[in-house]
Parts: sequence; C-alpha cells; structure tokens
Amino acid sequence: MGLNTTITRWGTPPLLILGGKKMRKQKFLAAMAVALGLTATSMASAQTLTMGVRGGPESIDPHYSALGPHAEAAKHIFDTLVWSGTDLQIEPGLATSWSPVDDDTWEFKLRKGVKFHDGSDFDAEDVKFSIERIPVVSGPTTTTIYVRRVADVEIIDSHTIHIHTDGQAATLPNDFIRLFIVSSEAAANYSTPETAAEGFNSGAAAVGTGPYKFVSWEPKGDLVLERNDDYWRGKGSWEKVIRKEIPNDSSRLAALKAGQVDVINYVSSVDYLALENDANIDAVKGDSVYIMNLQLDQRKKTPLVRAIDGSELAENPFRDLRVRQAIDHAIDRQTMVDIVLEGLGRPANQMMPPGFFGSSEDIPMPEYNPAKAKQLLADAGYANGFEVDLYCTADRLPGDGAICQGLGQMFTQVGIKTNVNAISKTVYFPAQARLEYSMFMNGWGTLTGEASYTLGGLAHSNNPDVKLGAYNRIEYKNDDVDRLLQTGARMMDADQRRATYEEAMEKVMADKAYISIVQLQTVWGAKAGSVEFTPRYDEDTLAFFIKSAN
Amino acid sequence: MLGFIIQRLLQAIGVMAVMSLIVFCGVYAIGNPIDIVIPPEATQDLRDEVIRRLGLDRPLYEQYFIFIGNLLKGDLGRSFVYNIPVLELIGGRLPATLELVLISVISASVIGVSLGIYAGYRPESLTAKTIMAASVLGFSVPSFWVGLILILTFAVNLGWLPAGGRGATIDIGGIAWSFPTLDGLSHIILPAINLALFKLAMMIRLARAGTREIMLTDTIKFARAAGLSEITILRQHLLKLISIPIITVFGLELGSTLAFAVVTETIFSWPGVGKLIIDSISVLDRPVMVAYLVLVAFLFVTINFLIDLTFALIDPRVRRGVTS
Repeated sequence: MGLNTTITRWGTPPLLILGGKKMRKQKFLAAMAVALGLTATSMASAQTLTMGVRGGPESIDPHYSALGPHAEAAKHIFDTLVWSGTDLQIEPGLATSWSPVDDDTWEFKLRKGVKFHDGSDFDAEDVKFSIERIPVVSGPTTTTIYVRRVADVEIIDSHTIHIHTDGQAATLPNDFIRLFIVSSEAAANYSTPETAAEGFNSGAAAVGTGPYKFVSWEPKGDLVLERNDDYWRGKGSWEKVIRKEIPNDSSRLAALKAGQVDVINYVSSVDYLALENDANIDAVKGDSVYIMNLQLDQRKKTPLVRAIDGSELAENPFRDLRVRQAIDHAIDRQTMVDIVLEGLGRPANQMMPPGFFGSSEDIPMPEYNPAKAKQLLADAGYANGFEVDLYCTADRLPGDGAICQGLGQMFTQVGIKTNVNAISKTVYFPAQARLEYSMFMNGWGTLTGEASYTLGGLAHSNNPDVKLGAYNRIEYKNDDVDRLLQTGARMMDADQRRATYEEAMEKVMADKAYISIVQLQTVWGAKAGSVEFTPRYDEDTLAFFIKSAN
Repeated sequence: MLGFIIQRLLQAIGVMAVMSLIVFCGVYAIGNPIDIVIPPEATQDLRDEVIRRLGLDRPLYEQYFIFIGNLLKGDLGRSFVYNIPVLELIGGRLPATLELVLISVISASVIGVSLGIYAGYRPESLTAKTIMAASVLGFSVPSFWVGLILILTFAVNLGWLPAGGRGATIDIGGIAWSFPTLDGLSHIILPAINLALFKLAMMIRLARAGTREIMLTDTIKFARAAGLSEITILRQHLLKLISIPIITVFGLELGSTLAFAVVTETIFSWPGVGKLIIDSISVLDRPVMVAYLVLVAFLFVTINFLIDLTFALIDPRVRRGVTS
C-alpha cells in the first residue's frame, strides 16, 4: 500500500531528466537574435528562471484567495505551516511536528531558526497572527476554509502552539497545507480588507520566510522575485525568478519556442503531440489530481431525461442501479485516454488518484462491455433506451469538452440517446448549483490529499448542520456512507480513519451515482536539457524545486 | 460655433446617462458571480458573508444608485477578483493599449492614405494595382491567423522578434511606456503590424475612392487650369476634400481599436485593457466589466464629439447646418 508502490506499478517514475539535441540550430538562432539586438529577454543569464504560467495570483496577500494559481505563486514567497509534498501527502513545513493533545486540541511544534525576509525571527506570534488574519482579509474565493475548524489559537511558548477546534477535527493538518505564514510585524498595518491589497502588492507587507523575496508584481502581469539566500530548506537554483502570466495556451508555447521563457505549464494535448517531434523542447508529463466524474441525478423527477419519442418517463431512470451500471459498462475508458486525450490520462475507477489517503485498492477497474450495458438497460425496462442531455464544462480542464463528446457517442451506442452540451464554466457551475442538470460531468481535484475533502463534499447527503455534502448536486444519499464519513471525521487515529474512508469510497463507487472516468495528466514544456524537476499532483510550478540541469 | 458645441455636449451627457443604465443592468442581469468565485467547499455562512461583502444582497436599483453615486465621485468600485480599485486596474494597463493602438492606427493611416492617394492618382499603373491587390488581402485574412503566422515566422522560426509580452519600460510622468526602449520597441512591432493590417487596407481603399472621385471634379480641373502645381493641388485641395470620411473612420477606428484590441492582445500576451476585460468576463468580475464599458462609452462619445468639432472647423457647411 502507499503511493510509491502504486506509482512504480504504473511504470514511469515521475522525475524526468531532460536531454538536449539539435543545439546547433538553437545556437544559430540565438546568435542571430544577438546580432539583431532585439531579443534581449531571450538572452537572460542562466541564473534567471523565466516561467510562463497560465494564471494567478490575484494579489500578493496569500490570504486573499484559495485558488490554485494564487497559492502556487504565494508558495514562492511564503511558507505554509504544513507542507503538501509532490504526491500531496502531508510533510513538515514551518511546523516540524503535530499531534492531538485531546479530542479538540492539536499541538504544533514550530521550526526554530527560521528568519523572515526582513531578518526578523519566525515564532508562534506569526502563526497566531496569520490564522486570525485570514477571516478578515479573505476575498471571494475564501481562504477561510483552511481555518474553519479553528476555535482558538493558544501560544504555549515561542515555538509551540495549541489549536483548539470546534469538536474533533481529525484532518486539521491537511487543512493547514495552505495556511501561509506572514510576518506579524510587517503585515500589522495591512490587515483590513481595504489596506491588505495595497500593503502586499506594494511589497511593504510581502515579507515571508519562503525561498524567494518579492520584487514586483502587476495584476495579470509579471511576478518578479529574487532569491532568499537564508532559506531554511537551502538556497534555490536561481538568483532571479520571473513568473510571467500568459493565459493563452498557444502564446505560452510560442514564448517557449522563441526562447522568451524557460518553462511553461499546461501544454495542450494537441501541442504535446507536436512537441514529441521537436528536439528543442522537452515535454514533462505528470499525473494530475483532477479526475473527471460523471454525475447522475438521483431525484425522483429529473428535468433533462425523456423517452425516445419525447414523452415523459414514469420515473427517473438514474435511480435504477441497473441503468447506472449500464452507463458504467458503456464507457470505454482506455479509448477515452488513447484517442480523446492523446494518451494524457489514465482510466479512473474512483474519485481520487491511487495512493491518496482513503482511496481503495479493492475497487476493480470497470469493464467496457456494451452488450452487457444493453442487457442491463433492457432488464431495467429501457429496451428502447431513452434520451438525455449531458452537460459539462468546455473551458476548465484539459480535454473536458472532448471527453464529454466521447461519452455522448458511447452512450448513444448502447441506446441512450445523448445530446452533448459542452459549455463555459461561467454558465455551467451556476446552473449545476441550481440543480438544473440530470447527467453532468466535471473534474474534481482532491487538493488536501485525503478523502474527507472529496467524499465529504460530494458523497455525503447535503446537510448544512454537519457542514457536509455542500457539493452533492445529485441528491445522492446512502446512509452507510453518511455514517462512515461522520465517524471518520472524528477519528483521531490515522489508520482507523483511513480504513473508514476506504470503506466509504468502496460503497460510493459501487452505487455508481458518481462514475469516475479518467484521471488527467498535465504537461510542462521546457527548453531541451535546461532544467529538471518532479511534476506535482496539484500541478504547481514551483521555481525552488526546478533545478538547473547545467 | 458655441451653440453647436453646447448642443453636442448636452447630447453627449444624455448618451452617457442612458449608456450607464443599459450597461449596468445588462451586466448585472446576466450570470451569477457567486458560484464562480466561491469555492465548492464554502459553507452557507461563508457564502452569505461574501455575498454581503460584495454588496450582491441588495436589490438591483439600490446597487445602481450606489454605483452612480460613486461614479459621480470618480469611484468606479473595486474589482471582485483583485480587491483593488477598478480605475487603478484599468489605468495601470491603459498605457500599454494606448501606445500599441496609437502606433498602429497612426502608422496605418499615414501609410494607408499615402498609398491610397497614389493608387487613386495613377489608377492604371502596376504599383497601384499591386497596392489594391494587397489591400484586398488585408481585408480578407482574419487577424488572429495573421497574428499566429507573424509569431510563427518572426518569433519561432527566425527568432528575430519576441513572441509576446511587453518588454522593458521607462517611466515618463509616472506611467510606464515601452516604446522609448529598444527592447520595448521590439515587443511592439509584431502586435502593431497585426493590429494595423486591417486599418491599412481600409485607409488605402478609402483614400483611393476619394481621390478617384475628386480628381474628376471641376475643382481640380480649374485648379489645374489656374496653373497650380500637381503637389499643391494634391495637398491643398485633394487632401482637404477627401479628409472628412478619413477623419471619421480614423476616429472610429481609434476608438474601437482602443476598446477592442482583444484578439491581438490575447495572441501576443500584451498586458493591455483588452486582455483585462476578457479575463474579467470569464470570471464575471462585474465592477471591471461595468467600469470598462462605461469608459468605452465615454471614449466613443468623446471621440465623436471631437470628430464633429473637427468637421465644423474643416467644413463650414456642417456648422451652418446645425445652427440655422
């Protein structure tokens, strides 16, 4: 068990060392550029790393937004209390250890000898200040979710704190992977909604303990950083880091090909194929935390399903397990990966990547069997099939629209006439929240690395009293699952909790109301032979962990 | 003249008032930013808190009056996404768009009008025919495609010019400009060409049509009969006579390019306002959308006002037509 064994079973180890070819042509182009004196930026010294990234941040205040790209940028300047490793399993960060003292108290030991960029010492006061600051300055994509369980912060000594929670909070350390620590002195005057953006964006309060120091930033523009030579993890590879925001996929790739940037993230699957034949560019492929899940509405009446002749059906067919099994058997996951995603993915059998805390190894990979699917549909009384509108995003994750098209064809083949609507996320998510869809698909990433984040949000019945099931938009309810998730959330013993979540995951996947289709993969592009790094499951591109290959 | 100006000013204010209402209601009636900006794990309490903080719990008319009240104080609100004043956000990116647009529209006009006059003055020559054939190309090829080809040719294959971004900037009057530096200039060339091509073609055709028409009129015949040199005729008479449609188009093109240089800015990652507005639309950042559209309306009203004034100065018939 565990992530390492799982990855080895898949074959390719994630670390790739990029080797270079065709250097002669590159040198010729470079010489030409110098001769013309035009591309000064492309000739930046080897001590500078220029990254072309798709998005973020929205502010230099790390407590402003909970979005992935925002946190990715913040990780360059600030450290988190608990670190989430490459495989998203938790490791020591600014906290060296943590343990439950009693049912509603966690003790965190803090790292000693850590200094902020301004030379001041990091201590318990900064942690308390940061936690208490979050609810005040948090923006619309609220970071409050990371400290929602915290009732009180008690300073025991300069490097020990006790966190009192509202009841048992077994996953508190997982919540803290995005608890960025700011300097209580530097940020003291910049901790109201009005002053926070100004203080941090100007650099006055942007004082962290992270690997890089803040130099300058403009919204949607460049984030410029310089190395923190006293970083506690050691000195980074690059003296200067420029994080350029280039949202357009083609433009980002063009910038890499033109030598303006050294590394880019989110290479599209089409470009990935072309890069395979380009000796100047190396493509680094990594597993992503995002899994595409099909969701089947479980309400008695569902709006977008009807008989083939357009008449109303007596009941919602998705409430019949045989129909859900038929849909599962109709999906050819391997073809989806090979053809639709150009090989950039893996078939998925559950809502989390293998090896994550609470994922089960006992869940079989569903079998593609259209004949069986037709039989199951006939058994359920739908020998002639029925018609359904399938909704999904087309602009959120790589391949989302294409997977949706693929599903439509596969379902139609077994007799479920499917109208595919791959639409913008700005339309999709509000409509999904209003429960307007019957069959829909979107990606979900288990960013905290453990099951309560995913199953608690999606698979528990929607119940605001226990703060679970907020994202369950199909009214899925299994009393066993509810019970397991509620007991799991209170289990302070990690092994017991893991077993409980595994059981819950097995039950949810057997119910087939959520049908996992593929786990996505992400591609980075880099100049051939220039850098080496390990792809992360959360798709972060972190300059500190990118090493120069020379 | 004064009456003309006052009349046009009142019209402009009326247009602005109507525009602000339409824009505000239009943007606020569509979509719901809540489900896009708030993460799935947020509880109902957190949602309510954010909704309250963004002022979305108030009825539409109340939000509108708050907006107008702030607008009159010169405050266009704060971005949902960045939590900084919208004016600061747009203002910080306006110079980038401004220099790109001015360079491309002005060079397109100067080159286009010269070529067009030549093509109209010697319509049978081979050069004129070549110019006209090229202008058809400028019209018919989509600009996103031209942009990609420019990047592919000059940035990726030849490596002469950067593929995107803005390059080094210099502070003049507290605003960062990139055209005074060599690096900055190298970054402008490709997007400016991309943006200018369509306008160049249009200016050529406009100037040629005007020239062909005017050259056959009595004005030119009498001027020639009076023994004026061809250069004087072209400069003093022809240019003045064909200038009214050209100025109109120049003004409108300047406005629409400033407002909607989106495609070029996106392809070349140019950090201008066009890119900002597209990004804002995709996350339904309402204050930015509204402020931007109001500013664009203001821009067009101002440009139209200035165009009318210019007409009135060039052509007395325009003033008389209004005041009499």
